[in-house]
Amino acid sequence: MIRHKNITIARQLHSLWIIVTIVTAHPHSVSAADEVSFSRDIRPLLSGKCFACHGPDEEAREAALRLDSFQAATRDDSGTPAITPGKSSTSELVRRILSNDPDEQMPPPSSNKSLSVEQKKLLVRWIDSGAKYEQHWSFIPPSKPELPFVKNAEWPSNEIDRFILARLEAEGLGPAEAAVTRTLIRRVFLDLIGLQPTPKEADHWVNQLSAADGQFNEEAYAELVDHLLSLPQYGERWGRRWLDLARYADTNGYEKDRDRTMWPYRDWVIRALNADMPFDQFTIEQVAGDMLPGSTIDQRIATGFHRNTMLNEEGGIDPLEFRFYAMTDRVATTGTTWLGLTTGCCQCHTHKYDPITHREYYGLMAFLNNADEPDLNLPDPAAETRFQKNLIEADKLLAELPRHWPAKDEEDRMASLETAFTKWLATERPLAVDWQVMVPSSLKSNFPHLTVQDDGSIFASGDTTKFDTYELGFADVPAGATTIRLEALPDDRLPAHGPGSTYYEGRKGDFFLNEISVTLDGQPVTIKSASHSYAKNQFGKNPVTAALTIDGDYQTGWSAAGRPGERSVAVYVLSEPLPAGKTLDVKMTFGRHFASSFGRFRLSASSTSGDIVAREWSPEIERLLQIDDELLTDVQRQRLKNEFLLNASQLAEHTKKIRDLRRRPAWIDIPVLAERPSENPRPTFLHDRGEYLQPKDRIDARVPEALHPFPLDAPKNRLEFARWLVSRDNPLTARVVANRHWAAFFGTGLVKTLDDFGMQGEMPSHPKLLDWLAVSLMDEGWSIKRLHRKIVLTSTYRQTSDFPKSDSTPRVARQTGLSETRLLARFPRTRLEAEVIRDVVMKSAGLLSLKQGGPPVRPPQPDGISEASFGRPKWKASTGEDRHRRSVYTYQKRTAPFAMLTTFDAPSGEACIARRDVSNTALQALTLLNDEMFLEAARALGKLLAESPGGDRSRIESAFARVLTRPPSESETTRLLAFVTDQRSVIRVEYQAARIVEFEHAVKEARRKEAARKKAAEEKAAAAKKAAEAAAARDSLPGKSTAKPDKQDSAETKPNESGENSSPGKTDTKPKIPIPTEPKPVDEDAVELDVWTNVARALFSLDETLTKN
Amino acid sequence: MQSNQNSLSPQPSLDVARRYFLRDCGYGLGKMALASLLTGNANRIACAASSTAPLAVRQPHFEPSAKRVIQLFMAGAPSQLELFDEKPLLTKLEGSPLPPSVIGDQRYAFIRSDASVLGPRFKFAKHGESGAEVSEALPHLSKIVDDICMIRSVHTDQFNHAPAQLFFNTGFGQPGRPSLGSWVLYGLGAETENLPAYVVMTNSGGLSGGAALWSSGFLPTLYTGTPFRSQGDPILNVSTPPGISQQQQQATYSLINDLNRERLGAVGDPEIATRMASFEMAARLQTSAPELMDLSSESKATLDLYGVNPAKPSFARSCLLARRMIERGVRFANVYHNGWDAHSNVEGNVKNNAKATDQASAALVTDLKQRGLLDDTLVVWGGEFGRTPMVETNPALGRSLGRDHHPQAYTVWMAGGGIRSGMSIGKTDEFGFNIVEDPIHVHDLQATILHCLGFDHEKLTYHHAGRDFRLTDVHGHVVRQILS
Repeated sequence: MIRHKNITIARQLHSLWIIVTIVTAHPHSVSAADEVSFSRDIRPLLSGKCFACHGPDEEAREAALRLDSFQAATRDDSGTPAITPGKSSTSELVRRILSNDPDEQMPPPSSNKSLSVEQKKLLVRWIDSGAKYEQHWSFIPPSKPELPFVKNAEWPSNEIDRFILARLEAEGLGPAEAAVTRTLIRRVFLDLIGLQPTPKEADHWVNQLSAADGQFNEEAYAELVDHLLSLPQYGERWGRRWLDLARYADTNGYEKDRDRTMWPYRDWVIRALNADMPFDQFTIEQVAGDMLPGSTIDQRIATGFHRNTMLNEEGGIDPLEFRFYAMTDRVATTGTTWLGLTTGCCQCHTHKYDPITHREYYGLMAFLNNADEPDLNLPDPAAETRFQKNLIEADKLLAELPRHWPAKDEEDRMASLETAFTKWLATERPLAVDWQVMVPSSLKSNFPHLTVQDDGSIFASGDTTKFDTYELGFADVPAGATTIRLEALPDDRLPAHGPGSTYYEGRKGDFFLNEISVTLDGQPVTIKSASHSYAKNQFGKNPVTAALTIDGDYQTGWSAAGRPGERSVAVYVLSEPLPAGKTLDVKMTFGRHFASSFGRFRLSASSTSGDIVAREWSPEIERLLQIDDELLTDVQRQRLKNEFLLNASQLAEHTKKIRDLRRRPAWIDIPVLAERPSENPRPTFLHDRGEYLQPKDRIDARVPEALHPFPLDAPKNRLEFARWLVSRDNPLTARVVANRHWAAFFGTGLVKTLDDFGMQGEMPSHPKLLDWLAVSLMDEGWSIKRLHRKIVLTSTYRQTSDFPKSDSTPRVARQTGLSETRLLARFPRTRLEAEVIRDVVMKSAGLLSLKQGGPPVRPPQPDGISEASFGRPKWKASTGEDRHRRSVYTYQKRTAPFAMLTTFDAPSGEACIARRDVSNTALQALTLLNDEMFLEAARALGKLLAESPGGDRSRIESAFARVLTRPPSESETTRLLAFVTDQRSVIRVEYQAARIVEFEHAVKEARRKEAARKKAAEEKAAAAKKAAEAAAARDSLPGKSTAKPDKQDSAETKPNESGENSSPGKTDTKPKIPIPTEPKPVDEDAVELDVWTNVARALFSLDETLTKN
Repeated sequence: MQSNQNSLSPQPSLDVARRYFLRDCGYGLGKMALASLLTGNANRIACAASSTAPLAVRQPHFEPSAKRVIQLFMAGAPSQLELFDEKPLLTKLEGSPLPPSVIGDQRYAFIRSDASVLGPRFKFAKHGESGAEVSEALPHLSKIVDDICMIRSVHTDQFNHAPAQLFFNTGFGQPGRPSLGSWVLYGLGAETENLPAYVVMTNSGGLSGGAALWSSGFLPTLYTGTPFRSQGDPILNVSTPPGISQQQQQATYSLINDLNRERLGAVGDPEIATRMASFEMAARLQTSAPELMDLSSESKATLDLYGVNPAKPSFARSCLLARRMIERGVRFANVYHNGWDAHSNVEGNVKNNAKATDQASAALVTDLKQRGLLDDTLVVWGGEFGRTPMVETNPALGRSLGRDHHPQAYTVWMAGGGIRSGMSIGKTDEFGFNIVEDPIHVHDLQATILHCLGFDHEKLTYHHAGRDFRLTDVHGHVVRQILS
């Protein structure tokens, strides 16, 4: 059998060689003389065609065969190793790839992954030459390569150029000419600050960059680069790119997609980049800033990076399920951003291509999973100052309250107030209760972590679920207790300061206690009645009361909505006093369609008899009320009196003001991470098939074995993980980062797949350059500004982007088929990013505001975009300069992103994006031409042009300088002059036509009014005549006065509708309403404005405007 | 100097462009073919690999039975128990809970699993030759049951709106994956040069899933669905702004074209030609969109059939527009109607929503059939999940006589495009809780829709983040029983 097989193989090999010989004649293929490279030729083949079934993933592995390592592929278990090094004829792999039998053939015909003849030949040659395996290039730590030799020693400006040029020379190509200085200036402005220069700036730098001898002034160019790197706009431009990776947005995502206060994180990114914070520090602060010793507010804000995950607030969701999805997002984002690895696959199973196992994936998750997700309460300094003033004012008003006590006079006032106060004390005192705090001896819950605090209260931390249950045991029940008090208490650690732990869907800090039950040694204790100090339902008007927590219906309960950070009290009266020496158990259940348990609460008991009712008193007041009158100090008495005054209905209008002044201003709540306390870590589990509902083994934090080792002595936590990410030993991070920045300048990365440095990713076009950049980046203290400086100072960067003039065939590299664009035989033209397009337009129109930071703003956009999302929120465009801020500050709503940005391929902030798509669509054309925001800019630029001195020609020049940073060519000027002349007459004719229509309308209107006026006058005259006749008839009667009625007098002097006097009784013949005789003249300024607005619209729409040339 | 309408014609730029295209064949191909497509010359440019053009017309894996899809998405999830799935036992059981063995460990959004049963609020009757059972709430659909295929055994993975809507439309419960329409466009390309090939219309309220429902996900952004707005410009910015005359607009287009052409000559980047083509298509859109929206050419009989008031945005108008769109080459039209989320008063909810959708949904099928379009147009009607046999009553939320979300079983109907007509498939238990016959997962529906369009759903893939993705993830089976 074996023999027979070998004969078949030999035959097949023979025929293959014939084909191969023909194939190798093709100049683009690897010539027979070339050595087969495992990394370049074989691994991509094996990875793409074989690893899905014969790779690292055990679950998916077929026939127990793995081809991803030499040992496994050459193992001789069954007598026929897949690969026999040096002997293709006895390699089962070869037999299978050459087989024509559909049952034997590999890859199987059904897989759609057939091998080409050339690929088969490569595999055969590789096996025959020893089947050497190499580690995947990106897992080998980079070392600084020697600078390559170049023939054209004049051309390189720095080390980078040597690598580029050496490659070009090897491919038989050369670099392009230098770009025109203006083009270069615009390019470097766009790249470094995301804005074009103003005409003045451009002129200045053109002068600077041209040395006296007409040569390019390198020093001046370096000066320009340093100038741009120092501008605050640098951080905005580069911050926006980082925010793509951070999946930044201003809303929570999913259905409700409510606002979140994420902008302080965005501003942190911008500040950090402007300060050139070293990238390793930049990383550590974002991944684990909260864990740095003595972490600053800024370092905690930085952890917003991983709080950019979405939060599902849809009623009824399982919050822990969506927390799990957020965790998978964090792992994926970390993989893409730092490691350039696609970890997402391993959520469900071991990676099919890259050496990351299913368990290792959850090991990575474990590093990130041990954090709580609180809000950092950033005080608003202005509001805090105002609040302190308010408190003083409130105290003042409080002191003045007695003066407002209703009374006849001063003497009576004091007396009557004292009487009322005494009466109040007499009423309240009997209601005050001596509460004994009950400290639980046992605490149990379904999920949250309950701990007893110093004051005997209980604090719930950790995760909360939709339906939580708390069970508290009390060993020492106060004997004779008749009443139990439940205090819902605020706590600074809770969402909105508590007392509840609600953090989504409902208002932050709310709670919903649906049932409470008490047992004594396991026997139910009957609760006779229940009362509360305050209750409010967030949803509708149906009652939420303490009484509903003992009605046996879990859908009803007690809630205290609308009072975040305040205490509320419920009191439960037992039907029998409790006997001594027994164990009391209190069980509470919480939850509605969202998690709403207590965050902090306390139980107390009292043996006071009588039906005690919950009061709004603070514990202090309740204590004071229990002190006998004669024992009260003056201060205590005043406290009680203040309490009385503040609650006196007679003073309601004054006390409301005091309460308002005492209400503390809202904090700015910023989502951050906070590592869990060591006594309550969050476990991480492996999830079968990646499903939330399938947790299996508990997994400890660990890094993938294929990567550099985690330091042995370092604790396995998030901070050390962050340090591991940016460790010098990490073969990936510096390469991934350098590559991404390279792509930002040149359109394509040295590794094209910016997000995938794994086996399925592309090989680098310039591996040595990439390593040089990565090592330099680390050597130079991870300075991103230095990297940028280095890049833009190269001759490579300064090449022209024009395509070669000749109609020659495209210059494609001999060896690899890489295009001249990839080889950088000229500067690649790239379309600008959405934000840059908008900013360039705004700047050219003189509208751009350079105000930095702060809450997001809303430039105008058509109605109906945000309305497609849940709740149909209206888009209220910002006013003033906020309409024209840089695009990085535009409000980003995930379910309804700003339309213009989306149209130009900006991401929605729902996932980490390393590389934006670049599309070219009709919708973009429509936006540029017709969108309100662009029209507004066109009008502004049109106005500037129309009002600028000089003729059409100079205006055209000015328009080009503003938008395109260059003078127009002669033919462009001619074309635009024709356009302007044509538009001027077209628009004037349109205005004339409009004026004629207006005129005709006005004539018609005047005639109509005149006719109406005439008619009215005639009627009036007729009426007056009639009245006069009647009067005359009356006058002729005896005994009547002849005096004229007053009315008529006044009518005679009163102006009529047309502003003229009318005299009744006379016939009015002269027309009183003037009929226009000719159309109004055309407003020439308006014509000019329209003409130049259209020029601006056209310029905004040009390909060149949208392009980095 | 051209300032007349002729300059809007694609020809002059194309000749220049073609030279560069051909020279540039090795790379930038996608762009090139896009340009050719946008300029209406898809087939004229000879370039071996032009199938890589993102919007060029492409052949699917096998002979399709449907060329286009109209999806009527009932957001909020209609109650199958009030519309399609008659369960008399529920009337008898009303007031008592379901056996726990039936409910299993299903999680619910609002109710708890021991909630009582609520009997159906509408009467059912058999209709048509097929004898399909439909409730009295759908008098119009009742008349066309012989033209549709009723699937009473659809189930999904998600039990909340946003995730479930995303799941139905993108095959995944979180945002970020390409929508069904995007996959179709990616697979088939675009037939129309005057309208977007994938159109989305929404009515009655914002959607839980938001713009992610028609997102192209990780596919190139130009496969994103284009929302047609019910008010204002149908396509964003498709109208020339007020104050700018047609003549000015034409001249501006012409100026842009001339300046871009000059630039193309100077720089030689074929991308400029693509940009020029996009302006040419924009100019065409400015004409074709109003023409599409103008219903004056529709007969009174047609308007009456749908129950359309041409002046008023409505689900009915969107259905009629969907028909007009596919007549004009639109590949995928998705009409969203929102409002079926009956947590309280399921009876009133069903009445109102049926009133808004029943007539037009049925009319669409009838109209397509009359015009001979139903044979190769697939119509899909359904929501993101079903509703519970148990009642939702919640005093704290002020709810009563409602139904909660039910992912285990619900009804979807399909018509035309290779789907058997006059048939029903799938059966639920007597509580309407679980499926007892022919369970059909949402991934199966997706696989079937792709099948009708000529695709093996396992082979319509896109390489992203290190692996090949597809609409049906690693699931889905074509429901062959419902294919004609």
